[in-house]
Amino acid sequence: MKKKAFVALVSAMICTVSVFGMTGCKGSNSNEVEFFSSKSENAQIMKKLVDQFNKEHAKEGVKVVLNTPADAGTVLKTRLTKNDIPDIIAYGGDQTYTELESAGVLKDLSQESYMNSVSDQYMQMVYDVQKDREKTAYAVPYATNASGVIYNVDKFKELGLKIPKTWDEFEEVIRRIEDAGGQPFEYAFKDDWTLLPPWNSMAPDLAPETFYDERLAGKTTFESTHKEIADKYLELLKHGQKDIMGTGYDDANKAFANGDAYMLINGNWAISEIKKNNPDIHLDMFALPASNDESKNYVTSGVDVLLCASAKTKHPKIVKEFLEFMMKPENNQKYIDDQFAFSPINGVEQKDETVASAQKDIEKGKVANFPDHYYPSGYDLASILSEYAMNYSTGMKDEENTKEFLKNLDTQYDAVNNK
Amino acid sequence: MKSRKKYNEPVTVILLAGAAVFIFLPLYMTLVVAVKDTSQMQHILSFPKSIHLENFVNAWEMTDYPRKFFNTAFITIVNVIATLLTNSFAAYAISRNRRKSKFFSVLYYYFISALFIPFHVIMLPLVVQANTFHLDNIVGITFLYVIFGMPMNTFIYCGAIRQIPEALDEAAMIDGASPLQVFWYVIFPVLKPTTATVAILSVMWTWNDFTMPLILLSDQDQQTLQLSQYVFQGQFSTNYNLAFASYTLVLIPILVIYLFAQKKIMNGVVAGAVK
Amino acid sequence: MKAKHWKVNPVYYIGVGIMAILFFTFHTVPFLKGVFYSFTDWKGFGDWNFVGLKNYGVVFSNKDILSAYFFTFKFALVSTILVNIVSLFLACGLSANVRFKSFLRGVYFLPYMLGMLIVGFVFNFIFGNLIPELGRAVKSDALSTNILGSSHAFWAIVFVTIWAGCAFDTLIYMAGLQAIDKEIYEAAALDGAIGWKRFIRVTFPLLAPSFTINMVLSVKSYLMVYDQIMAMTGGGPGKSTTSIAVMIYKQGLGHGQFAVQTANAVVLFIVVVVISVFQLRVLEKREEKVG
Repeated sequence: MKKKAFVALVSAMICTVSVFGMTGCKGSNSNEVEFFSSKSENAQIMKKLVDQFNKEHAKEGVKVVLNTPADAGTVLKTRLTKNDIPDIIAYGGDQTYTELESAGVLKDLSQESYMNSVSDQYMQMVYDVQKDREKTAYAVPYATNASGVIYNVDKFKELGLKIPKTWDEFEEVIRRIEDAGGQPFEYAFKDDWTLLPPWNSMAPDLAPETFYDERLAGKTTFESTHKEIADKYLELLKHGQKDIMGTGYDDANKAFANGDAYMLINGNWAISEIKKNNPDIHLDMFALPASNDESKNYVTSGVDVLLCASAKTKHPKIVKEFLEFMMKPENNQKYIDDQFAFSPINGVEQKDETVASAQKDIEKGKVANFPDHYYPSGYDLASILSEYAMNYSTGMKDEENTKEFLKNLDTQYDAVNNK
Repeated sequence: MKSRKKYNEPVTVILLAGAAVFIFLPLYMTLVVAVKDTSQMQHILSFPKSIHLENFVNAWEMTDYPRKFFNTAFITIVNVIATLLTNSFAAYAISRNRRKSKFFSVLYYYFISALFIPFHVIMLPLVVQANTFHLDNIVGITFLYVIFGMPMNTFIYCGAIRQIPEALDEAAMIDGASPLQVFWYVIFPVLKPTTATVAILSVMWTWNDFTMPLILLSDQDQQTLQLSQYVFQGQFSTNYNLAFASYTLVLIPILVIYLFAQKKIMNGVVAGAVK
Repeated sequence: MKAKHWKVNPVYYIGVGIMAILFFTFHTVPFLKGVFYSFTDWKGFGDWNFVGLKNYGVVFSNKDILSAYFFTFKFALVSTILVNIVSLFLACGLSANVRFKSFLRGVYFLPYMLGMLIVGFVFNFIFGNLIPELGRAVKSDALSTNILGSSHAFWAIVFVTIWAGCAFDTLIYMAGLQAIDKEIYEAAALDGAIGWKRFIRVTFPLLAPSFTINMVLSVKSYLMVYDQIMAMTGGGPGKSTTSIAVMIYKQGLGHGQFAVQTANAVVLFIVVVVISVFQLRVLEKREEKVG
């Protein structure tokens, strides 16, 4: 009796402790390969591709599993801290990728067969965001994007509007829409990353070409060079719906799909979302003409999705096969078509009229990369812009607001720039 | 006496109105949105013209509900059992020996002072630690819940054990019972109400927690119900019907439990706080 | 006899010892590690160097971090006060002689059961879609915009916090009210203390223990406000609703400020300890005076 109680309690304790202890050895499910993808917009098409791959490779007994978490950037960096790198990663070509690459956890893909078919221009963009601009292919660009103005073709036709080529023409378009009682833009600033596309579309047109390097070296400031961009940014804010700060990305896409506004300043990735809400809508996209010098009005285009792989994966063969599968022109085409994106793979073309105008500029090579890809990691431009927009919507005087905003750009930059 | 007194009608009306507007309206809205389809969303609160139970089916499949439910239930149940077994005895040992030995007295203050350390203070290093010990799975997180519950449970249990006369232990000891037997056969039964309190608080904590799963559980197969709602937020997009069907599925188990154990839960929570 | 060698039976040592060692390893060690990291420039991975007090310098000079502190303090203060006021009224109402008493008590306690994240999502929809819909119906400009995108987002978060937080506090106050001897009321009535006067002079002072519990627990949990903000605003617009907890998570893990945010966490720890100790002192004194 004595013994029984003692044994019971102690064994219960030992059991719990040892069960916990054992988990040390047990990792995650060992016949699954994780495919971490950062964009919720492409979750459906990615799922289709993954399913197809799994079907074709059913014999091997290993499954690729798609994971598309919300707030993917933070999640990915948390996992980097835990040293828990997903087997395959689809991410944007931005600062988060830089951190991932500089942590030395990625597999070198240089020798893979598909590398030959990738456009040099976009491969260069990948190199540009690697640590010290190292020219080793730790990632391969999968889809490229274009940031600019998406417009409702039918509503433009109603008013007889044409695609503006210069800032003056752009202002004229806005004025004519408002004269007709329409709403030029729909904004989605409750999700603060949507403040970036207008900035990214304008900054390459107006900022000095040498700005990024000089700013990094501390030889120039935002204050002395970005006044025009800030002014024009603020000007655009004045022509949105009433509740620009309270509308989220999804709600804004829906409102735009329902014809509430004439234009949406975002990127091609939003098109599939808009079409989900209204499959019949006629859309096109043009480069935001921030300058009156037509030749400077670039399409902002960057690597929207790149694929990379963990160097330490337990299933290198499946990972290799999966990447080869994804990079096949016919599969890339499926992705590009579904997402209204552009392809970095030679021979895969975006033919949809929805992005025809932007496609023309891209073909001509009239493109600039996203400026925020060159800002240092940890520079939270979205929240600085969000404050700017917030101050505007609470009625702060423009002049004062702009002055504070420009100063803020510099102080925040200096706070994160460790060079 | 009660029947003699008149009901306080104005207060009744105010309370009923408050409950209707602030508690039932949001719940009604959640349910209504969950069973509508997008075409009925012009007037959010209007009564649904047709019921779309497929929202639940879709949400069920999309978020892999059974898996997430199993994970959450596993964490909750294993945590409660392990917590009750380990924490109660530890608290008993501390409480009974505090005056006899410095060791226990120091540990008492050690655990109590840890109550002042908010979770977010250790969050970042914990992320790193989780890797070293492979704690980024449901078993690991359950283990952490058991450990992290110690300060609060020591506090609650010690408060209760203090009320139990030591003569009870001594009588059993004289009969030849070992400390574990004394605890198991004499003290633990007396502690039942406190154990209920600790159990309720643990269940509520682990079932509804979002922060710890967010930083620790990255593998989709390991995620909890709460976390999966956050993870799928982007994919729900403007399909609010799907999103609300999914929320409803998460709320139902806890509402059912509440329906059956309301009194017990309320009493337990009060007992825990007043100690 | 065994007991001669050991003043205390070793079983006790084992029972507590295991828990203490585990707790030390998984709670205290991370805490100490955090203090250590706060003196380095570690990013959470890769190489690192000692940087002395530099991170603390950043914590005390960075505008965003300071404004997160300001937000958090203001939030904790406002929420604590409002939650306690509302709860007191609710508790008095639910303790009065009302119809459907146990039903009403059950209903008002319900929010305690629901996870804060989902509550946040539901209210996110209410503020973003339902209220604007009603606002448009009554042609009110103020109502038809989403409060979460305005400079009043603070109040929306406070509202949701009250909604969820009152359940617990009300319950505690009801328990406190129940413990008050009926004879005291009768004596007070003879002295002419009824209604509001009775509440201020008699009821409220006697609720002191419940008040202490609620104050201490509320302040501590509201200083850590996190779930509802993640669900509703993510810290925006701008950084206007970024609490310290949200900042530690977002900046520490998402924006490469791991070391700076561990320093921030250490500062937060000190702040919480100081506030808690201070509170306990003041409130205990008050209780003594009353008791």
